[in-house]
Amino acid sequence: MAAADAEKYVSAIMGRMGEKVKSCLVNSNEVHMLLADKSNIPEACSYLQDELASKLCSLISSDERQTSGAFVLRYVFEVHGKEDVFIAVTARTKESAENQLPSVPSIVKKFPLAVFYEREIRDMFGIIADGNPDARPLVLHEHWSAGVYPLRKDFDIKTKVSRDTGKEYPFIKVEGEGICEIPVGPVHAGIIEPGHFRFSVLGENIINLETRLFYTHKGVEKLAETMKLDQALLLSERISGDESVANSLAYCQALEKIAHTSVPKRALQIRCICAEMERIYNHLGTLAGISTDVGFSYGSARLNILKERMMQLNSVISGSRLLFGVNRIGGVGIDLDAEKLAMIINTTQIVQEDFEKIISMLRTKSSVVDRLRNTGIISKKVAYDLGLVGVVARAAGLDVDTRRDHPYAAYPTVSVDTHHDTPQNLMEYKVNLEKRKGDALGRFELRVEEVIDSIRMIDELISDLYDDNILTTDTLRLEPYGYALGYAESHRGQTIHWVMVGQDCDSLFRYKIRTASFVNWPGIEQAVLSDIVPDFPIVNKSLDLSYSGNDL
Amino acid sequence: MSHKKDASGLRNSVDSGDSKHVQTKIMSDIMRDDVETIKDPVNGYTNSQEFRGSITLFDAIPHQDSLDKLCAAKAIETDGRNVRLDLGKCIMCGRCQQAAPDIFLIGSIFETPVKVRQDLIRLSGKLDSQGQKPYEQMGKELKEKTSKILRRSLAIREVDAGSCNGCEVEITALNNAIYDIERFGVHFVASPRHADVLLVTGPASRNMEIALRRTFEAMPDPRIVVAVGACACSGGIFGDTYATTGGIDKVLPVDIYVPGCPPTPQAILYGLLLAVDRIEASKING
Repeated sequence: MAAADAEKYVSAIMGRMGEKVKSCLVNSNEVHMLLADKSNIPEACSYLQDELASKLCSLISSDERQTSGAFVLRYVFEVHGKEDVFIAVTARTKESAENQLPSVPSIVKKFPLAVFYEREIRDMFGIIADGNPDARPLVLHEHWSAGVYPLRKDFDIKTKVSRDTGKEYPFIKVEGEGICEIPVGPVHAGIIEPGHFRFSVLGENIINLETRLFYTHKGVEKLAETMKLDQALLLSERISGDESVANSLAYCQALEKIAHTSVPKRALQIRCICAEMERIYNHLGTLAGISTDVGFSYGSARLNILKERMMQLNSVISGSRLLFGVNRIGGVGIDLDAEKLAMIINTTQIVQEDFEKIISMLRTKSSVVDRLRNTGIISKKVAYDLGLVGVVARAAGLDVDTRRDHPYAAYPTVSVDTHHDTPQNLMEYKVNLEKRKGDALGRFELRVEEVIDSIRMIDELISDLYDDNILTTDTLRLEPYGYALGYAESHRGQTIHWVMVGQDCDSLFRYKIRTASFVNWPGIEQAVLSDIVPDFPIVNKSLDLSYSGNDL
Repeated sequence: MSHKKDASGLRNSVDSGDSKHVQTKIMSDIMRDDVETIKDPVNGYTNSQEFRGSITLFDAIPHQDSLDKLCAAKAIETDGRNVRLDLGKCIMCGRCQQAAPDIFLIGSIFETPVKVRQDLIRLSGKLDSQGQKPYEQMGKELKEKTSKILRRSLAIREVDAGSCNGCEVEITALNNAIYDIERFGVHFVASPRHADVLLVTGPASRNMEIALRRTFEAMPDPRIVVAVGACACSGGIFGDTYATTGGIDKVLPVDIYVPGCPPTPQAILYGLLLAVDRIEASKING
């Protein structure tokens, strides 16, 4: 089905691009168009966005100099609408002369979100995007010596790079009478991850915010290249601890796609149950955090009790309070017996009852609702232009959800949300989407809705649980240098992993991770623009971004 | 917030007709549930049999050659006859038990925090028999010690030096109503200048190294550093690479190591108990 859809796109692309495309291959639901020359990148990308209604969702670079003599860049687009298709524009680039960095034309003019991808690739591979106005380092902070490109194959992971002191990161300067700068971080007041925020303020009003992240960069992608496939699975769980199921699921699905493995149905259902349990406990935590940040600690205390109940349930189900160890390549590592299933149903039911009470109380508190309403607005246009995903995008009125757009695991068998069940519901939902204004209250309400939806989905999955194996009995048949995309919808939004298997079929040649946080972080700089400094924590919490998932 | 008044909300958030009713209902709920804090979270189902907490090593000759290559965190070393397990690196994935159940046994109690890094290394034959006290008992002990040594309370500054945020989730959990660590006189402070203890997570990423060092320098003496989680103890699965330093003790003098991936709130509390001991010792030594 997906492959047939993909074939359609091949003929469309070949007809339109003609000579400029060297070849066009289909791999499951992915179309790979290899460009004849890198100078055609902007044209090909514009064509995909404008005429094929697709949106840029990742930019993958890999150092294939040893195997094919060049760096390969893949601009991955996701087709919007009914079809489950990804299109990758592939181009090659190499050093034109000794000591000169390879380059590609920048696509920033048309795709503002590409600025971060291009800066990342410049840092990690030393590939220059010609025309990108922002040449500041992103991943490797100012104290890293020049000429270090960690993701190149000739860079040894154990290298200890010397530290250049005395350099300062050039933040964007806002000038004018009465403008002050407030530097915050990387060590913040609470128990949260590190990141630096540079506010330019006029009185209390935020004129500009610049985020400086990558403090928790720990070389995950490079490290994966030194690991066996099963070990890298453990690493993928630790990309962002609270998104362990979603990230490991994306990783497993990529490998299973390469090997054309069919995973037993029971395993797929257990994956979904755990993914929804993850969504519940994290949304509860975020809602509790929002309640803390508006200064209503009673609400947050109650919600945190529910979060703890869910985490204790996680521990019973998976042996880890953060659901580590759920996914395995080709299935799952845990089985749910009747006792555990009953426990899931009981606990979620108790949680739902309490949850509904707490939420109806929070909605009556004007001190909560007034601070959330119209705070941290992200408009639909901004959300679209920045390619935002997950709750943040949905709250802004975009109808995106990977669970429905690109169905995976057992999601095709359950109704992800009830809005798309009947034509009438869909119409009402579309009207509702247009009314959304993308403020913190909208995100708050959406998370509430998703908690309830997740509990319903878990019930549906459990009532229909197959009696089957939990691991595939097939051996994993991988080809050297085979590659595929794996994706999942975490509680933060879409996470896309691109996996390329190594020559020995038990290692990774390249593992590119793009989490929801990476695309959603730029959204915060836009969200705070109509706000005052004291509202920043609320905006931040309502977006629920992971630093570790961004910094890798 | 008068500049934000807007009648057209996303949905009817304030349902005025119902609000009084809800209000009374909530009040009656509060009156009914007297104490939400679980008396002993350890003997509740936190301590599920499935929980992967610690590893017991049995004295058996390893028959697999690849035992040391198996571990993603490189916690297992073997010379063919003996096995050396570094619990400071272990991420509790349970792969070793599956491969060699005659040697490794994963237990549901948490791995005990220690004061010396070397104590986390377990050699073949040495069994983990250390019993642990219930959460409530440890908390009370902590409270007594804290009030004796520090007069009133223990102030903690938490720094994430590159963790995956799993440890943060657990440290945050210490503050929820169930564990409620504040009732034992422990609280988390915003400034390192107010802190007795520096609680550090993550493998000390290079990008956080300077900030971490500066936070430590800003603390008054006596200052105790507690490394929380496998990454903080040794680099964990992230190891020692171009982007990490391979453990907090490469950057700061670490007093307490709390193993686990992530350590449970209970294990972190145990670590704090040891930290107070350390403060006492350093006070006596001057």
